[in-house]
Amino acid sequence: MAGLDPAVKLRRSFVYRTLQSLGADFQPWRDASVAMTLGGSVESETAAGRKLGLVDLSPLPRTGFKGTGTVEWLTEQGLRIGADSNMAYRQEDGSLAARLAPTEIFLIDSLAGEGRLVDRLNAAWSWGTEKPRRLVGYPTPRADSHCWFMLTGEHTPQMFTKICGIDLRPHKFQQGQIAQTSVARNGTIVIRDYLGALPAYHLLTDSASADYMWMCLTDAMQEFAGRAIGWSALKRLAGSS
Amino acid sequence: MSVGVNRLPAPAGGVIDRSRTIGFEFEGRHFTGYAGDTIASALAAHDEWLISRSFKYHRPRGVLTMAGQDANTLVQIGDEPNILADRRPIVEGMVVTGQNYVGSLEQDRQSWVELIGRFLPVGFYYKAFYKPKWAWKYWERYIRRTAGLGTVNLDAHHGYFDKEYVFADVAVIGGGPAGIAAALEAAKAGLEVVLVEDGARLGGSLGYARFDAEGVRGRQQLRVLAAEVEANARIRVLTEATCTGLFADNWMSVIRGNRLYKMRATSVVVATGSLEQPAVFKNNDLPGVMMGSAAQRLIHLYGVRPGRKAVVLAANSDGYGVALDLADAGVAVQAVVDLRAGEDSSAQARAVRLRQIPVYLGHGLRKTVAGPGKHHIIAAEIAAVEGEGRLSGAAATLECDLVCMSCGYSPTGQLLHHIGARFAYNRASHMFEPAVLPAHAFAAGSVNGTYDLEAVLGEGRHAGWAAAKDAGGQVGGEPARPVDKGAAGVTHPWPIFASDSGKDFVDFDEDLQVKDLVNGIADGYDHIELLKRYSTVGMGPSQGRHSAVAAVRITAKETGRDIATMSVTTQRPPYRPEKFGHLAGRVFEPERHTAMHHRHVELGGRMMLAGLWYRPAYYGKKEDRDKAIREEVIAVRNNVGLIDVSTLGGLDVRGPDAAEFLNRLYTFTYAKQPVGRSRYVLMTDQSGAIIDDGVACRFHDEHFYVTATTSGVDAVYRLMLFWNAQWRLDVDVANVTAAYAGVNLAGPKSREVLRKVCSDIDLSPEGFPYLAVRMGTVAGIPARLMRVGFVGELGYEIHVPASMGEALWDALMAAGKSEAIRPFGVEAQRVLRLEKGHIIVSQDTDGLTHPYEADMAWAIGKSKPYYMGGRSIDIQNRRGLTRKLVGFTLDDPNAPVPEECHLVVKGPEIVGRVTSAVISPSVGRVVGLAFVAPDQAEHGKTFDIKVAGGRIVQGRVVPIPFFDPENKRQEL
Amino acid sequence: MKILNCPLNGPRNISEFVWGGEVKPLPDPTAISDLEWGAFVFLEDNTAGVVREWWCHVPTSFWFIAERNTVTDEFLRTYPASDLFKQRVDFKAPPKRAGDKPAGGAQ
Repeated sequence: MAGLDPAVKLRRSFVYRTLQSLGADFQPWRDASVAMTLGGSVESETAAGRKLGLVDLSPLPRTGFKGTGTVEWLTEQGLRIGADSNMAYRQEDGSLAARLAPTEIFLIDSLAGEGRLVDRLNAAWSWGTEKPRRLVGYPTPRADSHCWFMLTGEHTPQMFTKICGIDLRPHKFQQGQIAQTSVARNGTIVIRDYLGALPAYHLLTDSASADYMWMCLTDAMQEFAGRAIGWSALKRLAGSS
Repeated sequence: MSVGVNRLPAPAGGVIDRSRTIGFEFEGRHFTGYAGDTIASALAAHDEWLISRSFKYHRPRGVLTMAGQDANTLVQIGDEPNILADRRPIVEGMVVTGQNYVGSLEQDRQSWVELIGRFLPVGFYYKAFYKPKWAWKYWERYIRRTAGLGTVNLDAHHGYFDKEYVFADVAVIGGGPAGIAAALEAAKAGLEVVLVEDGARLGGSLGYARFDAEGVRGRQQLRVLAAEVEANARIRVLTEATCTGLFADNWMSVIRGNRLYKMRATSVVVATGSLEQPAVFKNNDLPGVMMGSAAQRLIHLYGVRPGRKAVVLAANSDGYGVALDLADAGVAVQAVVDLRAGEDSSAQARAVRLRQIPVYLGHGLRKTVAGPGKHHIIAAEIAAVEGEGRLSGAAATLECDLVCMSCGYSPTGQLLHHIGARFAYNRASHMFEPAVLPAHAFAAGSVNGTYDLEAVLGEGRHAGWAAAKDAGGQVGGEPARPVDKGAAGVTHPWPIFASDSGKDFVDFDEDLQVKDLVNGIADGYDHIELLKRYSTVGMGPSQGRHSAVAAVRITAKETGRDIATMSVTTQRPPYRPEKFGHLAGRVFEPERHTAMHHRHVELGGRMMLAGLWYRPAYYGKKEDRDKAIREEVIAVRNNVGLIDVSTLGGLDVRGPDAAEFLNRLYTFTYAKQPVGRSRYVLMTDQSGAIIDDGVACRFHDEHFYVTATTSGVDAVYRLMLFWNAQWRLDVDVANVTAAYAGVNLAGPKSREVLRKVCSDIDLSPEGFPYLAVRMGTVAGIPARLMRVGFVGELGYEIHVPASMGEALWDALMAAGKSEAIRPFGVEAQRVLRLEKGHIIVSQDTDGLTHPYEADMAWAIGKSKPYYMGGRSIDIQNRRGLTRKLVGFTLDDPNAPVPEECHLVVKGPEIVGRVTSAVISPSVGRVVGLAFVAPDQAEHGKTFDIKVAGGRIVQGRVVPIPFFDPENKRQEL
Repeated sequence: MKILNCPLNGPRNISEFVWGGEVKPLPDPTAISDLEWGAFVFLEDNTAGVVREWWCHVPTSFWFIAERNTVTDEFLRTYPASDLFKQRVDFKAPPKRAGDKPAGGAQ
């Protein structure tokens, strides 16, 4: 195993042991470490990701806010959030504001993972001092409540038909659409994204179920020769096409 | 290598590939067939017709439908029993055996059963084997062995079975002419169509039936349609795929190989065709007697000559097509025996007459005559039809080894039945046809009582158009519906000729003869649903496909009812047997791991399930269980221990109405709870029964962090949202269970350990007293800390972000090294809390326990205007207690330790039960909790516990806590 | 498997939902008899015909109301609970003597 031991950092991915067993090359990133490659070269993992790839983005920044006043406050903070629930709205820095309900936002960072908006919002929220208190929603610990996986590649929609009962094929489930549903009998938020022309999906699921979900995904991916890939390959897929 | 004496030259055999031969074994003998052959067709090519022995009488049976619709061809392949030999393709090296015989298939030593058949009437089991009552268990083993189907290998290896969801705008079930036409039409509307075909390729009757005198039309039509489907990208074709069930909102189960497809379609077209029905006469079950369509399938699909000399029993023009096909295949057609008196005017019948094949109008079959061992027929006796079911005495005997039955059909309407379609008897066609279909479902082709090929194609197009329109497709003009369905004269109303000497089978699966049904009706089971259950007609593997209609006809006649007022028995899923593998394969069983999960495993933790979570029960070897638990308890009492409590539920309740909200949901009061303090929470349902507990930590005026039990949190969260959907309080609830990892650092030395890794909180007893809560950092990790007393020692619950939970565990284990910190599991915690007399909801309470019964009146805020369950608790309290939860111990040091649910008795009466009991390492005797009668609940009183083996042990009520009664240790 | 149209998440397999019972107003527990309260807690109307029911979409814990014909098992329509429950509900302190009728508690 090359690179850093992920256990030297306080924050650890929920599946870091599995990544280790795949030969992960961990590099430090903010308060955690990220698997840059998973035993293959960036080129081979990028090629695999075009077909069917699974990436663990759990160490990357994300946050959330919910409750009365949430969307108004986030709008004041400069976010652009559309009116429809179950849609994800791209922000200027590339992060995605997923509107899970009229008063609930799950914010995931761009694939660059620098966390500027996430950090700024987390720092900006406070109970306030006005009397009566102005309602601005409440922060939710999304970096910890949910693991963050991404699935990429042309076989992804077909792979999903083995584990999810709703139609996630690209022509039925479009860019930005969100499905809060059951994947492998586990409550999961699926967000449709894209990497150039490649279909890509964010999977946000209960962090305690991360091991389980990883196992289900890799099992379902076998039929299509899908494999886990590192962050480097994902960034290349996002940038190159 | 011979591929069989009966093999016909091309173009016969549309589905076989003559370039590839395949060798396999049947009953210990080697055979060769072509790729595409089924077991039955390959055997038939070698003139092997005996495939199975019947269920009850062990009669020889062979090919009946060649469509996988009957039980005559059930065989075993290795570990796999009950395979349809006329459906399963042969593969190289396959080893096939017959089933349900003793000795060999050819010389079944149990065929004597037939000789005593007259002593085995319907209802025999009920009449003979259940009296006296104990007799059944002796008979059962013998009967199961004698009447068994295949052999199940209990050590069979696991196969990989999985599931896939399929989404369609329009699903078409059945790839015959109607289904293909429907699929093409629906696809025209720009929709996604899935076409499901049971057979190896599309075509249905087009692939084998004779629609014209020349015998070219079907195959020509098929080539055109198949090419159109092939070229259409909007149609996904699933062949060798069986739709086994059609459910609400067009949800379908489709099985193909080892995969179960769960298909959802906006609208569905059922084009499953029809099942040719057998005629009833003596020895209608023996090898050599088959459906006309079975003979045609053998010829046209598999290139196999079905016999040498044939008699066709016809009641429709299809029978004449069969005769032509047989003649073309080189079979000597001895006669067409037509049940009808009038001449058939079809082109096929004309061609038969032109070829000078003898036609006996107004004749039927009295019986077939069997050769040695009844392995095959050698002749058929014909006689003139005198009336319904009656033949004249005078008879002619025709030599033949093949009888083809072409007397009519019954719709393959199972899927329509599944979704609640209503069927009605059509007096013109003599068939039960779909009369009312549910919304979003359409039927076309012979399943809908349509037989003329042009009409079938037209109805298919119309159904496809209607289904597309229903599914929101851009449809063009409505295609014309066929005017004449061509159903008249296709199905004979009474092809039943009972024989005085029996063996006239109505149900081949269950070996039921006409007299069995007549006797069943005479026994009083005169409704078809009752008769079915009494006689078992239609309950065999083919589920009445060939017996249901005949059984209704017989019932109608015997009871003097009009058949049009009756119906066939209800047909339920699955359409064809499903393997357990299909249902159980790749079942998803979610499991949850805490952030420290892998550390527990590394430390030798024995993991147990708590809801979906894995938790360490104790650390150490299984054989050292009790010792490990005791040592863990002692470590906490004397030193310091660490337990993972991440699985506890966590709810952030925030907003101006947070305290009011908790007041309504929990029994206690929270409005005046100071910030920085925790308070017990107890939840009851509206009936007053305890359903959950935990603590509420107030971190801000408007913020409570509420814990809930591991298994209860999801229900508590849902209940909170349910009530606030009605109350509209300004409060937000977030379930943060998975977001926080938590530990309880407990024991007299816990403060020393914590001090090493926590510098931003005043940990002094005054600065951070018992029941206080704080926010700070532990080992650099942001944390919520609370001083709680569940195990009754100085202790800190520390909750941190889940992604840092493992780092917290590592830091505390390292910091506690010099204090000999010891991880402890759920079992030790159960002992520790019991020593303190704390209840565990749903272990020490049940679905009826209210707080007064549990001696928890202290947890009720009596001056609140409302809380969930409050009114019920008031009523129950007013009415007085019927039992009470008390702490107890045993006076006798040698008495056995009572277990959970051992009864508390008072003389002959049950008054309560033990809910928890254990030998306490800390107080050195048995301590426990039990429900006792109210008059036994006073301290010092004794009560009787009935332990294992019926022994009575005396318990004595004592005050709780059992350990450290003044609670000094937790408040240090 | 049936489909249920969740007002937040759209049409989904019924396996994503749990049933929450008939919609019936929470009576003011201080204003009714023991028998009336018992009937509220334990009895369902079990109407043959169109009923209003609570349903919860489990992956989102979203409660809403569905109108269903219990005879044909057809869902007629679904809508958010806020369409029916528009106002904050408050409870007054229990009356000192029977017969006092506090406001609130009712819907």
